[in-house]
Amino acid sequence: MQELVDLTSKLLQNGDVNVVIGYEEGPRGVRPVVAATPDDCRRLIFDHRAVHNLATYLSPRRKHLRVRGRAAVVLKGCDAAAVATLLRERQLKRDDVVLIGVRCGGVYRTTTAEGALSADNVADRCGGCALREPTLVDHLVGDLPPEPPTAGQRAARIAALEELSPAERFDYWRRSLADCVRCNACRAVCPLCVCERCVADKTDPQWIESSPHLRGNFSWHMARALHLAGRCVDCGECQRACPAGIPLTVINGKVGQVMGARFGFRPTDDPDAPAPIGTFDPDDSQEFIR
Amino acid sequence: MARIGVFVCHCGENIGRTVDCAQVAEACGSFPGVVHSVDYKYMCSDPGQLQIKEAIKEKGLTGVVVAACSPHMHEKTFRKAAAAAGLNPFLCEMANIREHCSWIHEDRARATAKAIDLTRFIVEKVKRNQPLVPISIPVERRALVIGAGIAGIQAALDIADGGREVILVEKEPSIGGHMSQLSETFPTLDCSQCILTPRMVEAFQHPRIKLMTYSEVESLEGYIGNFAVTIRKKARSVDDELCNGCGDCQSACPVKKIPSEFDAGLGKRTAIYVPFPQAVPNIPVIDRERCTRFKAMRKGKKKEVCGRCLKACGREAIDFAQEDRLITEKVGAIVFATGYQLYSIGEEQPREHLSGYGEYGYGEIPDVIDGMQFERLASASGPTGGRIERPSDGKEPETVVFLQCVGSRDPQKGIDYCSKLCCMYIAKHTMLYRHKVHHGRAVVFYMDVRAGGKGYDEFVRRAVEEDGAEYVRGRVSRLYRAGDKVRVCGFDTLSGEPLEMDADMVVMATAIQPQPGIESLAQKLSVSYDKSGFINEAHPKLKPVETNTAGIYVAGACQAPRDIPDAVAMASAAASKVLGLFSNEELERDPCVAQVDETTCSGCFHCERVCPYGAVEHLEVRDRGGNLIKVIAKVNQGVCQGCGTCQATCPSKSVELLGFTDAQIFAAINSL
Repeated sequence: MQELVDLTSKLLQNGDVNVVIGYEEGPRGVRPVVAATPDDCRRLIFDHRAVHNLATYLSPRRKHLRVRGRAAVVLKGCDAAAVATLLRERQLKRDDVVLIGVRCGGVYRTTTAEGALSADNVADRCGGCALREPTLVDHLVGDLPPEPPTAGQRAARIAALEELSPAERFDYWRRSLADCVRCNACRAVCPLCVCERCVADKTDPQWIESSPHLRGNFSWHMARALHLAGRCVDCGECQRACPAGIPLTVINGKVGQVMGARFGFRPTDDPDAPAPIGTFDPDDSQEFIR
Repeated sequence: MARIGVFVCHCGENIGRTVDCAQVAEACGSFPGVVHSVDYKYMCSDPGQLQIKEAIKEKGLTGVVVAACSPHMHEKTFRKAAAAAGLNPFLCEMANIREHCSWIHEDRARATAKAIDLTRFIVEKVKRNQPLVPISIPVERRALVIGAGIAGIQAALDIADGGREVILVEKEPSIGGHMSQLSETFPTLDCSQCILTPRMVEAFQHPRIKLMTYSEVESLEGYIGNFAVTIRKKARSVDDELCNGCGDCQSACPVKKIPSEFDAGLGKRTAIYVPFPQAVPNIPVIDRERCTRFKAMRKGKKKEVCGRCLKACGREAIDFAQEDRLITEKVGAIVFATGYQLYSIGEEQPREHLSGYGEYGYGEIPDVIDGMQFERLASASGPTGGRIERPSDGKEPETVVFLQCVGSRDPQKGIDYCSKLCCMYIAKHTMLYRHKVHHGRAVVFYMDVRAGGKGYDEFVRRAVEEDGAEYVRGRVSRLYRAGDKVRVCGFDTLSGEPLEMDADMVVMATAIQPQPGIESLAQKLSVSYDKSGFINEAHPKLKPVETNTAGIYVAGACQAPRDIPDAVAMASAAASKVLGLFSNEELERDPCVAQVDETTCSGCFHCERVCPYGAVEHLEVRDRGGNLIKVIAKVNQGVCQGCGTCQATCPSKSVELLGFTDAQIFAAINSL
């Protein structure tokens, strides 16, 4: 994408930024890259395989990147929503980054998929996306591609789980979560897991057992789901990173459905939008607050 | 090593009936760390408390658990006893085996087992309790009173007479509120202005009362003992230093036909006006919406029009260029006394759930008036000089029909509550009317007559028996014009017959509502209100003048419909609370407040967003070189009310509520 290459090269040449975080062609599909010279920028690409949420590299926990100075980062709309959340939660200063938005026509579920986008290979979040042209960004590149198709598998899976009895559902999750090895990849990849000390690492008292045992696994995945309620932008990186194949986006998707129904929440790239369940408001629709 | 004492109370039969207290004491004696465990009939009695004190001294207890009633009931009692024996009071806790156990269970064996569990839970918590010291914060010993009706004036005078400074803020040009509009007052029929104006003057002249009329509260910061309030002093367009209240400007003003708010729309006023002759302060204000000069200025005319008041004023006090001023004052306590307004039967309603009265003509029938308008007709200072004249043609009405409960107690119209004063003032209206129009008929349609109050029922009976008021039990279904009369269609529920009659005038006792804008003011002050907008008291019985925000009190009809004696009593009660608060230079606060772990806080400020009290501040953490490392949350312990919402919200569990730390709760839960 020449427009992206030109823009980022200029930003580096002018000294506006020290690094550009974007996508390049890798040995197994598209992968993230940190470009430090205009020469590096020539490798930057963007297509349906640009699955990664690069906002994760702006997290305050990525200290190794922060020390490299001011960064420009390539963002899809969903990624920009994650940046908005970081801004809202004061984990990032707007002036410390240059945000390059890309007009987006949807991405695959994996970095290696090929062919036209279809209901079978498109990512769950893409259908009906309202953020295809992010507004939070400093630069917006590319032409607006056609709307992506809507994936149906996850919604069907959530609906199927809802059909089960509580005991059957519990059994399903017991089986799924038994596979968790507590490698914390889901936490490491999440752009919104920003705590300086994760509650799962707290030892006195230890609310969440850290060994890969079903008891701690349940606690961890429940804590993760609840900490993301009203924050998760549904980028699906947790599930992509999970070596055990736990259907984490099913949890995220269900929490997102509840947040939408109860609080009218949808991921947004407006950093001033209120945090739906983390805000005291005397006008709250729930009577008890008065 | 912990040395815990457990004291199991029978509470007479209250606990003992369902729980085997001796068995609970025995079981608790075997818990690790428990060195003393006894049961007793009444732990809260003197001998009971003595047992605790002696055990603390003799056994060297490091913690005390009293298994008894709710901590709401007796935590203070037992903590005081512990403190008297030299133990930090926060090392004493209660296990609630009454409300949470004996009162709600029947099976003795299982209730006993549960009581043992509840006590074990608290024992494990107390083992990890830390001694806490009450927080002391300085108190700014000045008060702010919002609203200068009778409640606000009374509260301000009481506080000022108690030796403390008061800022009395009133949004209208004069103090006095609705009471200044009333003719006579029930149940004694003494003249309202005659008893009110001396108090108004007293408030005006009081050396410790700073009066700010035509002013409104803009914003509030701070907390009990240390509020900073910003007050908007609206532009009066008249210099209050120069004006001597001579009234020449009013005589000169050519805009004379503005409906007077003071006369409830029945009289007229000028564009530069003093609301009523006894107004305090006696300084006019220019109604900028209606003044010819301001109208022209708004239209962008360069030429200065009119200005007759300017020419008439001998002291050059008129100042068209005056602007609103913002003034910030420091106060330690606030009394909320903004009063009421009357519900209007018109079609347009300020709230969605309210609806107007189409069946009564939506207020479009001129001879259908509300109670306040009748007050002005009956008042010697009113637009008719006290003669009862109906608004349409000025004739003396021969038949007046009074309707009670218009809007009130009518869920279909949106108000469920009883407005409380109407029964009394309608009875008063019938008397005033009959005293002035001897041959006239006064007919009252009522649902019930609620006259609970000293001398109230006698008063209503006097209206019926001596002054000939005719009371009809039933509601009126429709009012409409019939010639120059108002046709009243109703139903007499006692005789069971429909009733139709012609009235010359109809007076409606419309519902009492809080002042418009009370919600936004309440939000600025962080006090809660109910669905009708009335301010919530902290406890309906035991804290009737406190709000849920410490240091803010409530008086008068902004809390619920209140008559004058009630409003005055509330005002004096609120004033005594304020003076009680001001009796110390420093304030002691419960130390069970939130604390942030600086090392692990990531500064996401979820805690700040959820805090209902605005207690979370930002703290910059810097290294020795002064470089900013991070910005994290810090809890202002003076503001924190210890609700624990931040502790529950913090994703990394970096907030602890002292007295309820994670370690305490975790150990307690694990003990089960």
